[in-house]
Amino acid sequence: MNVRDVLLRLRALVARRRVERELDDELAFHVERETHKQLADGLSRTDARARALARFGSVSLAADQCRDVRGVGLVDTVARDIRYACRTFQRAPLAALTVVLTVALGLGLVSVVFELYSTLFLRVDAVRSPQELFAVERLTGPGEDARPSFTRADYDAMRRETHVFGDAIAILRPVQTRIEGRRVTSALVTGNFFEMLGVQAAIGRPLMPRDDDRSGGRPVIVLSHFAWSRLFASDPNVIGREVRLNDLPFEIVGVMPEGFRGLGIASPDYWAPLALAGHFRESYAGREDSIAVEVVGRLTSVLSPEAATAGLTIWASRRLEDGKLPARPVAIKLNPSQGTLSTDTMRALIGFSPLFVAFGLILMIGCANVANLRLARGVSRQREIGVRLALGASRWRIMGQLLTEDLLLALAAAAAGLAASRLFFRGALYAATTIVPPELFAVDLARFTASVDWRVVMFLLCGGVVSTMVFGLAPASQATRLELVRTMRGEVTKDPRPDRARHALIAVQAGGAALLLIGAIIFLRGALAAATVDPGVRTTDTVLVPIGNEARRLALIQAVATHPSVATVAASSPPIRAVAEASVSDGAAAGPPAPIVRRGTVDYMAVSPEYFDVLGIDVVRGRGFTPQERTVDAGVVVVGESVARRLWSGGDALGHVLRLSADRSSNSPEPDATPLQSRSFIVVGVVRDVGGGLRFPDLFTFRGVYVPTSRESAGTSLTLRVRGGDTEQARQALVERLSSVDPSLGGIITMKALAGVQMYILRFAFWLTVVLGVLALVLTVSGLFSILSYVIEQRSREIGVRMALGATASHVVRLMLSQSLRPVGIGILAGGGLAAILAMVLTSASSEIASVVHALDPVAYAASGIVIAAVCLLGASVPALRAARIDPIATLRKD
Amino acid sequence: MARHPVPDLLPGTLDLLILRTLHTDSLHGWAISERIQHISQDVLQINQGSLYPALHRLEHQGWIEADWRVSELGRRAKYYRLTTTGRRQLAVEAREWERMSMAIGRVMKLA
Repeated sequence: MNVRDVLLRLRALVARRRVERELDDELAFHVERETHKQLADGLSRTDARARALARFGSVSLAADQCRDVRGVGLVDTVARDIRYACRTFQRAPLAALTVVLTVALGLGLVSVVFELYSTLFLRVDAVRSPQELFAVERLTGPGEDARPSFTRADYDAMRRETHVFGDAIAILRPVQTRIEGRRVTSALVTGNFFEMLGVQAAIGRPLMPRDDDRSGGRPVIVLSHFAWSRLFASDPNVIGREVRLNDLPFEIVGVMPEGFRGLGIASPDYWAPLALAGHFRESYAGREDSIAVEVVGRLTSVLSPEAATAGLTIWASRRLEDGKLPARPVAIKLNPSQGTLSTDTMRALIGFSPLFVAFGLILMIGCANVANLRLARGVSRQREIGVRLALGASRWRIMGQLLTEDLLLALAAAAAGLAASRLFFRGALYAATTIVPPELFAVDLARFTASVDWRVVMFLLCGGVVSTMVFGLAPASQATRLELVRTMRGEVTKDPRPDRARHALIAVQAGGAALLLIGAIIFLRGALAAATVDPGVRTTDTVLVPIGNEARRLALIQAVATHPSVATVAASSPPIRAVAEASVSDGAAAGPPAPIVRRGTVDYMAVSPEYFDVLGIDVVRGRGFTPQERTVDAGVVVVGESVARRLWSGGDALGHVLRLSADRSSNSPEPDATPLQSRSFIVVGVVRDVGGGLRFPDLFTFRGVYVPTSRESAGTSLTLRVRGGDTEQARQALVERLSSVDPSLGGIITMKALAGVQMYILRFAFWLTVVLGVLALVLTVSGLFSILSYVIEQRSREIGVRMALGATASHVVRLMLSQSLRPVGIGILAGGGLAAILAMVLTSASSEIASVVHALDPVAYAASGIVIAAVCLLGASVPALRAARIDPIATLRKD
Repeated sequence: MARHPVPDLLPGTLDLLILRTLHTDSLHGWAISERIQHISQDVLQINQGSLYPALHRLEHQGWIEADWRVSELGRRAKYYRLTTTGRRQLAVEAREWERMSMAIGRVMKLA
């Protein structure tokens, strides 16, 4: 096939009418020229024309052969097939509609999962050559997690001293602020950010290196497309406008194009120069060099990632830290940074597989229905196909015809699936936001909405074609394998094993429905159980206020303490591991050190005197802290019951001495925490152990030692007890009030919401599986219903004979029901078995699952089995009862 | 009129004849068949119905190309002419034909 050939064929397709006319003209000219010649030979006009035509032979045959040469015949065939298929759909619109809707439903569901997957793992950010971008991370120790622990100074030095990267950028995110009262999230970036990523602004200009001058950046920001449309209603005149961020005026200089997310999964609202970090968080002011940043470099040179890693490792290991070389070589890791969660698609796919399987089950069940429908239709179309075969159509022609029908249905299903997936996505988002309190989400879900891109469309098209083709191919090939003579006589050729195929499909459907419904009931019971678990602390009227900005601490405490809805304010620091040495003492702390009775590690947390009261932690023995005991210097501690039992035999800790010193063997969980000075405390109280009932989140479990602190000391967060019944209302009032004090404040959350995380997750899982399970059940029953109706229609003669021979109506009903419900029973058993195997595999793989849900809950298995059996019985009994009303005389007379 | 005037035309020779006829100037379909008939002194009569599919095939192969011109009858007709690749193809086929006919001629004389 050469270029000219392609061009000619293309012309034949595009300018079809013209090419046809030219062909007609050419042939007509020949005949006319021949006629002319014959006229010259002396024949009459009619004779001349007749002879010319005779010499030429069949004009239309020649034209057809010419058309064959240019290969337009195939197009004609396809067009005819499409017209024919449309006529077929018109004749049986309900069947076509059922196929399209069923497949669309399943496809829509699967494509929601795919959209989510694509958003997280496939949707590479719209930057120049993203495969060259690598995030530089420092491994904190052998086998430990990589975390970005470079400072701005490290970044500057790396750019100055190494030539591994073509260029590198530093990012600080997320930074929370407010624009006109609305919470926004931003990323602070170096001035070469946009230039290095190769992204141009949609309007205005991006940030430039001169905006990020280290001696003092310019107060300018660049909006993301998301923020531009959400906050500024896509106003094209937004450039040059001034917005106030943390009471400082910033100028909007540009808007980035849609689809650019700045190397994240979700786009921030704006980008600002990193040099201005001090304006965004007061704690950064004056120490810009030690801000922890993400570093991303572009490997444009000939260096491989391995060589680059080696180069950076040498550089980092030689670099002085606080004037000395690091104790051990610094391990550097390069991770691809393309704006997706991970580039490890295999692991991502495995992680997503349960969702794909659960949603795919619906598609599979729907396709089983379609296949059944087509098997049935194939039988009823035997006569039509037989006639066409007898008239000389090749098997391939008829297969092609049937597959054209499938393809058309697939396209319609893919289009409907796209609409369905949008609907399902909205539904899932709505469910997520109504079930889970929005403040629990780290990201605004609206920002995260997956968009339909070419990947989703391709997925839908492929899914539609595969699902209709696979399930249409077998019926199609079966339909063309006919005994011609018998078919022409009008006899329906009985396909050899129709029942077995149908029964297998029904069993698969029932099994899928069972799997989903068992899951739903397990999740429901898990959620109910989680709702009644005592989190161990008072959650009914308590609110958590984390303080991120130490500079505003006093102002915040002032605002909280004077707020009318707040009753008590307590403070606490996160738990830290320490070494404890317990000794028995007579109470005189100043005396000679008493012998150590036991040694061990404990967790300790600093709490203010109000803490025990606010969270309802009972003091079992002794007392809590007095209002005067507000620092470690008070020399007193309160211990939990289990610590008391562990360190002092008999659990009598009161009055004894506990020495705490920093635990150097493990990495401190909070790198910023002030190191603990080794010192002795007197135990003044023993309190109840906290938590343990909930597995997730494990925030409340604490069985350690409390040391005194005050609300004013840095690093603590506030826990409030509020007045009045409505904690949520109080929370909103606090958010309103406190954000005027510290605009970057976030994460004010009721303890009730925090304690409910496990329940929310289970409840969401329940709704997901119950919706899917009910869909599966509805599809199964509708399939069962239609198949049974069809089978009874096919077997009406046999039933008539049975009844004529003396079978009663109840015999017939029982026969029909038992035949159709047996596969349902097998399916339920198989689905239950599969669920049990899955449950055992999952619980053995992760002990957390076992503690959250009871995966082998017999109630779930029994209940879902009964529900499916009952619904299927109901669905099957309608056609079965109809079978019982068959008039034997009428059916026998039909022959 | 015989339905198959060239019953023993070897397969592929029609292409050769068309290419050779178009060697000197561009002609329309009727003229091609007339010229072949004329030069062969009425021995080779092209089946006119099969001439056009052959022309179209050659056109698709890129050996000949066509344009519409006003014919001797004053009516537009499709004129075919050889392309450069067609010329090369003609040379190849002509050589092949030469070899074939000489071989057959030798066999006929000596066998």
